[in-house]
Order: sequence, then structure tokens, then C-alpha cells
Amino acid sequence: MNPTLTAPRPATRRNRRAGVRLLSIAVLLALWQLAASATRNPSFIPSPRAVWDQLVLTSTVHDGIRGYSGHLLVEHLGTSLRRILIGSALGVVAGLALGVVMGTVPWIRLVVEPLVTFVRALPPLAYFSLLIIWFGIDETPKLWLLTIAALPPVAVATASAVYAAPTGLVEAARALGATRWSVTRDVVLPSALPEIFTGVRLAVGIAYSSVVAAETINGVPGIGGMVRDAQRYLQTDVVVLGLFAIGFSGLLIDALLRAAENRLIPWRGRA
Amino acid sequence: MPSPDTRSPDRLPSPDHVLSPDGAAAVEVRDVEHVYGRGAGAVAALGPLSLTVPEGAFLVLVGASGCGKSTLLRLVAGFEPPTSGTVRIGGVEPVPGRGAGVVFQQPRLFPWKTAGGNVELALRYAGVPRRERLDRVRELLGRVGLHDVADRRIWQLSGGQQQRVAIARALAAGDPLLLLDEPFAALDALTRERLQEDLRKVSAETGRTSVFVTHSVDEAVFLGSRVVVLTARPGRIALDVEVGLPRTGLEPDELRGLPEYAALRAEIGHAVRSAA
Repeated sequence: MNPTLTAPRPATRRNRRAGVRLLSIAVLLALWQLAASATRNPSFIPSPRAVWDQLVLTSTVHDGIRGYSGHLLVEHLGTSLRRILIGSALGVVAGLALGVVMGTVPWIRLVVEPLVTFVRALPPLAYFSLLIIWFGIDETPKLWLLTIAALPPVAVATASAVYAAPTGLVEAARALGATRWSVTRDVVLPSALPEIFTGVRLAVGIAYSSVVAAETINGVPGIGGMVRDAQRYLQTDVVVLGLFAIGFSGLLIDALLRAAENRLIPWRGRA
Repeated sequence: MPSPDTRSPDRLPSPDHVLSPDGAAAVEVRDVEHVYGRGAGAVAALGPLSLTVPEGAFLVLVGASGCGKSTLLRLVAGFEPPTSGTVRIGGVEPVPGRGAGVVFQQPRLFPWKTAGGNVELALRYAGVPRRERLDRVRELLGRVGLHDVADRRIWQLSGGQQQRVAIARALAAGDPLLLLDEPFAALDALTRERLQEDLRKVSAETGRTSVFVTHSVDEAVFLGSRVVVLTARPGRIALDVEVGLPRTGLEPDELRGLPEYAALRAEIGHAVRSAA
């Protein structure tokens, strides 16, 4: 029977999709196990079992040692997430403000846009050294790094959306007696919201990928610091565990942002 | 002569109806010319043209596409100043949001607001206190024939309903003047007729001065207390007639059945064709 000819009920289709996903994960795990067994070198490819054991070890207190490097895995992850949250929040707020100004005042856009594009093109690790020199090795340079990394995508998305605000709606608002500020608040910003949100998701993604770089120096606690230490002692299973922790929490956060987007912008694609 | 019914003292007074003293000119357009662009690419869109709309009139501007009728409306709304000449609303230079409500060809509703939210926003800009707004929103939507849609999202409304919300929103501020730029052009025939009838009713109820742009001759005769036909670009006045038909008391079909209705339709239709 040709499956494309039958239209299964949505629930059935969902079950089938979940089944396919589970199957693909199982296949990947099997391939991983196979590769680990074939190479027989846990420092090169640790087995799934070894990574699982590390998950248990780093999440518990054993022989008087707390997790890894004195912190539980969730504490490493929590510290990194906190840095991401603060850094991208600052970057988003600053990018939003800058974007609105850039989109509204042409000459500011002219002056600032090349700078923003320049910073956007730099890999965050490239300016981290400068931030270390300026701000030391504690929290400050890390937060600066994430803020600077998160700012450009939001600023660029906001600026272009604000600049291209639908003239018809702006005119309608003016005809209702809206002041300049009311037009910005009630028409320009809401109409830019879908693009701003895309910028925010991009910014959080960049902050995510930069946090590991930010934690290469004095990064414990922190998931990047943990991975860095483990690499130094050739604890490959911990490195892989750290990768999983970063990857899964990243997926989770993107899903949350997507859910927020659907709630906040119900008109997206409909008007 | 504007029809006397709209201004008779026994008409129900509406709370937002503002009358200026002694039937002063609501709109005054004097020697207006408008040119888009500059130099070799400049296009003369309008004029020279002079026009006075008295308080309480329902003026319909008719003409072929591109004759500058929408341009004239934009000048009256204050969206742009005329290249030369003067436009006055109630004696002062027009500023968007002061003195005139505008309904566009597309509803131009804010999709991030509900139907009621769109009207509420207009009330907020008009300075209506928060606690009064909810009742006023319901009243305004009711006046354009909408009930129980205040909480609906814009995309849940039909095209006709959206345009009704847009009219309610334009009425919300209580401006003495209402400007409508081909508001029914994008609707299907049946919906268009319904909205024409309801707008006629609303206009009779509120006695508001209106300027309505259309390219439909029938719409012009049906709605207008006065019809002005514009020539092809640059638009000038080709014909200016008072419609002496009764503004209230007749069913739409009775109105359309009057011999005077047919005569006006023929006269205006002829003027539109020969002006184009």
C-alpha cells in the first residue's frame, strides 16, 4: 500500500513521527557504541556507557568530591545558563534600543551600521583577549563578551524592521491622532516584533556558542570550564557529556523561545 | 442644497457630533494644485481646483482611476500639503488626527490588536478615560452593525466586517469630519451594498460631514447629498450636483427606484465618461 495515498489521522501521524525519531536516536547510539568498541580507545571515543557513568558521577557527591572540579553538573550548566541569560538579555535590550534609533534616524544608521556589521563579523573569541585586558578574568569580561555577541543580530533585525514599518498602518495611526511616540510604541514596534524575535533567537544562539569560548579562562564553575578542564586531563567522556549538556539545553531554550514567539505574535503570517 | 433631514432639530443628537456655528464650511479647498515629483518626471495630479463643503454635507468625489480624487482626500486629511493653494478644515490647516477620521480602501487594522482593541486605541488617542472606553467600544461597534466581535482577532473577521471595524475606529474620535477613500472597492458586490446602506444610516444618524471617494456612479448617487465629478489628470471639477433625494425614510430599493435617482445616475455617469 502506498502510504502517501492514505491520510492518517493527526494523532497517528504524530505517533509515527515520534517513532521515527526514537528509531533514529537508537541507530545513532548503536553506531556510537560500534565506533567505541572498534577503536577500543576511550580517550578517543568513549563508549555511551562511560558517558552515562560520568553523568552519574558529575551529578553526585562521591568520595567527598562534589561532582566535577567541586561543582555538580547542574551547577556548571546553571552558571553557564545564567551567563547566557544575563549576557543575551543585556545584548537584546541594547540591540533593541540601538535598532529603533537606527531605524528611525537615517544619519545614525549611516554612522553606526558599519560598526555593528564589523563587530558582527568578528568571532567573539577574537575580542575576548581585549576584554580580559580591560576587565580582568572574573564575571565581567564574560558578560561583556556575551552582550557584545548578542547585540548585533538584534540591532540589525530591529533597524531593518523599524525602517520598513508599514506606511499604511503608520498613516492610519496618525489619522487617529497618534503622537510620534505613540506611533513608534503602538505601530512600529509591534509590526517589527516578528523580525525582532528572529533576531533574539539568533542572538541567544550566538551567546550560546560564545559561552564556551568565554569560559576558557577561569571558567569553573561553567560548562565551558568543565569541558576545558576535562580536555586538559584527557577525560573525553566528560568532554562528550559537556557537549550533550550544552546541546540539549540549547534545544530546550530554542523551543521555549519558539513557544513564547507563538504566544506573543499570534498574527505572524496571518496579517 | 444639503438635504434638510440630516440637520433637523428633532434628529437624535449623538454624543460625539460636533457642530460648528451656523453651518460654516467644514472643508474649504481654494486654488489647490498638486504635483508629484519634480523636474522632468513631475506629474500634475490635481487642480487648479476650489471646493467648499458645508457642515453636514455628504460629498462624493467621483472620477476615473488616476484623476486625483484620492490625492484630494489626502490633502484634506493633512497627510501632505498641496503644492500650491490652501486647504482648511473648520478654518484651520489640516493635521492628521485632528478634526477628521479617515477610512482607507484597505481596512488598515492593527493585527496585534483585537477588533475592539483597534477601536479602543482610537479612543485612547482621543483622550477618552479608560473606564469609559469599554462601553464606547461596544457602542461604536454596534453602530456599524457589529455585535460580539470585540474580542475577535482581525484575521477571524470577514473583509466586510474588517471594514466596519475600520469605520467604527474612524468614528471613535468624534471628529466632525469623516473622509473615506474608496472604502468598499475591495469588497464583493453583496457586502458592498450592505455597507453602503449601513453607512448611509450611520451618516444620517450622526449628521457628520463626510467626503467619500469612489469610482462607482451608483455608489455616488446612493450615498451623496452632493456629487462632484473630477476630470482626468490633473483632476478638475467637471460637474458639481446637489442630490435632492431624501436622506431618511426610504428603503434602499425604493430609493433606487425613484425616477430622480435614475436621472442623476445617467447625468453623473455621462459626466464621468466624458471627463475620463
